[in-house]
Amino acid sequence: MKVETAVYSILFYGFAAASILMALLTVVSRRLLRAAVWLMFVLLFTAGFYVMLGVPFLAGVQVLVYIGGIVILIAFAIMLTSSNELLEDRPTLKRKLLGALGALIFLGITIPVILASELPNSNQSGVSAEEIGKSLLNYGATGFVLPFEVVSLLLLAAVIGGIVVARKK
Amino acid sequence: MEPLGLVPDFRHFVILSAILFAIGLYGLLTRRNAIGILMGVELMLNAAALQFVAFAHFTTTKPVEAAIMALFVIAIAAAETVIAMAIFVALFRARKSIDVTRIDEMRY
Repeated sequence: MKVETAVYSILFYGFAAASILMALLTVVSRRLLRAAVWLMFVLLFTAGFYVMLGVPFLAGVQVLVYIGGIVILIAFAIMLTSSNELLEDRPTLKRKLLGALGALIFLGITIPVILASELPNSNQSGVSAEEIGKSLLNYGATGFVLPFEVVSLLLLAAVIGGIVVARKK
Repeated sequence: MEPLGLVPDFRHFVILSAILFAIGLYGLLTRRNAIGILMGVELMLNAAALQFVAFAHFTTTKPVEAAIMALFVIAIAAAETVIAMAIFVALFRARKSIDVTRIDEMRY
């Protein structure tokens, strides 16, 4: 999608406002299952951003793995630990203030640095799924086959570890 | 330092992901339920992956590396969530609660 069109700007600001609102609802909501649903919406809007940034393959992976895997897993855990029945207790005011202070300090450090930076502009080309696939299986110096294999091992270890930790004695 | 224009630039995307990261940080620091803390972590990871792709799309000539980075972030977040949920389920079975303000002793 070309950046200069008005549709791009409207979509960007709309998605940005919606995802910030959903993120705020996620961290404030006292019913955990609803917080998981707001998290799902944030991830969905991020998938929309990936399409706008020219990587539709990543948008598909985001929906499949992040929403279809992780959010479902969170919902399972919420129901298995009976966290969906009672309202979560509110954090104390001191905790809320300290948390907001931490988040604001982070923003106060990064946003001026971002605004002051000038980086060269590129031709804004997108990435196709074929490029990603070829790069992941590339044995050369710029290939990513080693991290690919290591992540496969990590996922195997995570599956085995999850079964071992969560089984009934 | 030129002012922030109306047409989205890489700075708009990076500021957006910084705001999402800060909101996730607030959720991580404030939540009492362990799964709520994990949702804050997921927000932060998602913001980081979005920032990688946004930077690469606007400033580099090879955005494929950032797409692969985001792919790995998603895969590692999935593995971490599996283990964390298994731990929380086992913890709930032992202590009947996953309120992090009440689980403060390490004896068996």
